[in-house]
Amino acid sequence: MILKELLGKLFPAGYELKTDGSIVTGTAVCSGEKIALIGTTDHSLIGIEEIMKLSKSFLEIIKNNPQMPILMLVDNDGQRMALREELLGLPQYIGHLASVQDFARRNGHKVISLIYGNAIAGGFIAFGMEVQTRIYAVEGANPSVMNLPAISRVTKLPLEKLEELSKTIPVFTPGCSNFYKMGGLIEIWKDDLAKCLSSAFADYSNNDSRAELGFERGGRTETSKTINAIINA
Amino acid sequence: MKFKISQSYLEATARQRIGFIVDKGSFKEIAPPSEKPASPHLDMFNIPKSFGDGVIIGEAEINGRPVSILAQEGKFMGGAFGEVHSARITGLLRRSLNTKPDAVVCLWDSGGVRLQEANAGEIGVTEIMGAIFDLKATGIPVIAAVGGSCGCFGGAGIITGCCDYVIASEEARIGISGPEVIETTMGVDAFDSRDRALVWRTTGGKNRYLFGFVKELVENCPEEFRSAICSAMAKSFKYSLKNLEAMQEHLQERADKFGSMDNTFDIWKEMGFNSPEAIPEMTVAELKSTVQAGGEK
Repeated sequence: MILKELLGKLFPAGYELKTDGSIVTGTAVCSGEKIALIGTTDHSLIGIEEIMKLSKSFLEIIKNNPQMPILMLVDNDGQRMALREELLGLPQYIGHLASVQDFARRNGHKVISLIYGNAIAGGFIAFGMEVQTRIYAVEGANPSVMNLPAISRVTKLPLEKLEELSKTIPVFTPGCSNFYKMGGLIEIWKDDLAKCLSSAFADYSNNDSRAELGFERGGRTETSKTINAIINA
Repeated sequence: MKFKISQSYLEATARQRIGFIVDKGSFKEIAPPSEKPASPHLDMFNIPKSFGDGVIIGEAEINGRPVSILAQEGKFMGGAFGEVHSARITGLLRRSLNTKPDAVVCLWDSGGVRLQEANAGEIGVTEIMGAIFDLKATGIPVIAAVGGSCGCFGGAGIITGCCDYVIASEEARIGISGPEVIETTMGVDAFDSRDRALVWRTTGGKNRYLFGFVKELVENCPEEFRSAICSAMAKSFKYSLKNLEAMQEHLQERADKFGSMDNTFDIWKEMGFNSPEAIPEMTVAELKSTVQAGGEK
């Protein structure tokens, strides 16, 4: 889904948006409350520049608009793969962006992540997944770690075998329904996106319940019991 | 001058590394062999499993002070984050919120998410990140040590970027996309992965140290890792808006100042080193004395 169409459905009463390259920031009203928008468009790559703009937007909201809910609009084709990003230390930049998202959440901002396009690999971790529990996707979005041909190249597993397994096994297969089964998405939104969003803010919680969701949905059967056995050992 | 190396941290197993770091006899492993789960996802690929799924977790003392400690086994599937592997780490980190040790010590050695379990690994990485932030917010320091042959790439690199304090050897490579991946995706002109010297200079511990990402650079020597961890345990870290703003400024400055350069020699020259080409050959002690003598850090 393109951003304009998404925002039209989320905020029929209107919204304000600034665009800076592939980064967007703005505000809108959801259930009578003003919320902040921070996102990316056009399958943006997540490199140093994008990260600095996104983290700056988070810091400004934390500082100037205490408690304001934040909606992250997620569409990226992964981390920028370049010598330059690696030279400058991309892991530290992504760690910083994850920290500011976490810090916002921890300091009274409801932070919701909505995948409306792609969300891939390190880009997904950097901007999309590090809000722990409140991750949603609109139908047709594409969360993914790596596509099957690339997994086949790296692992040397035959592509035909991966394709065959992918029909029933969610653990390595890209796509919304698979991430849903793993507990990596709370819900997949289909109709009345405005209503979905306001219920998501109303049901908001800061607890990371993804392990339990993954267990209930049968995609990650080991995570919650392993974590709990260790906590109680 | 070459440093005399008693044993190699790089070549040691995860269990040996824990032995190097903690007080003798103090390590209590959590989940003994009979209770250690293996991955449920590897049989379908006919890949041998490992009890504990490639990570050892437990509690110990360092100089008599209580710590939680984990060590990834780089020799099992490249130390990669699968479902059980990640869950065991998250379990230890969340347990530490209750047990409140003086520090959580993470001996990372991983190429990133295990692709055979890609979705579980990716979600698992962010569950670990969330638990690290919980510890930071509680004021329990999370100390990372990197010096294994897998380094820290992909999700492991990102996790390292979330820790309070990173200790690394020169041999520790830290990054997101490995050079082979960049070359395959973007072409050989983007990153020539066969140029091993370029690869080491770019992602190796020295470059990460000179940028201030790695806080303490050590030789590939267990005693140095232990002593750096002891020093880190004497420090305190504050997870605050002020510090995040300072980090924002620092990272922006780095990008502005060095972002147009495409190799470490130009960058090190710009930092103030007169003979940047000498840096790869320097011992850690020589590099540190050069930094103190006027080269910027």
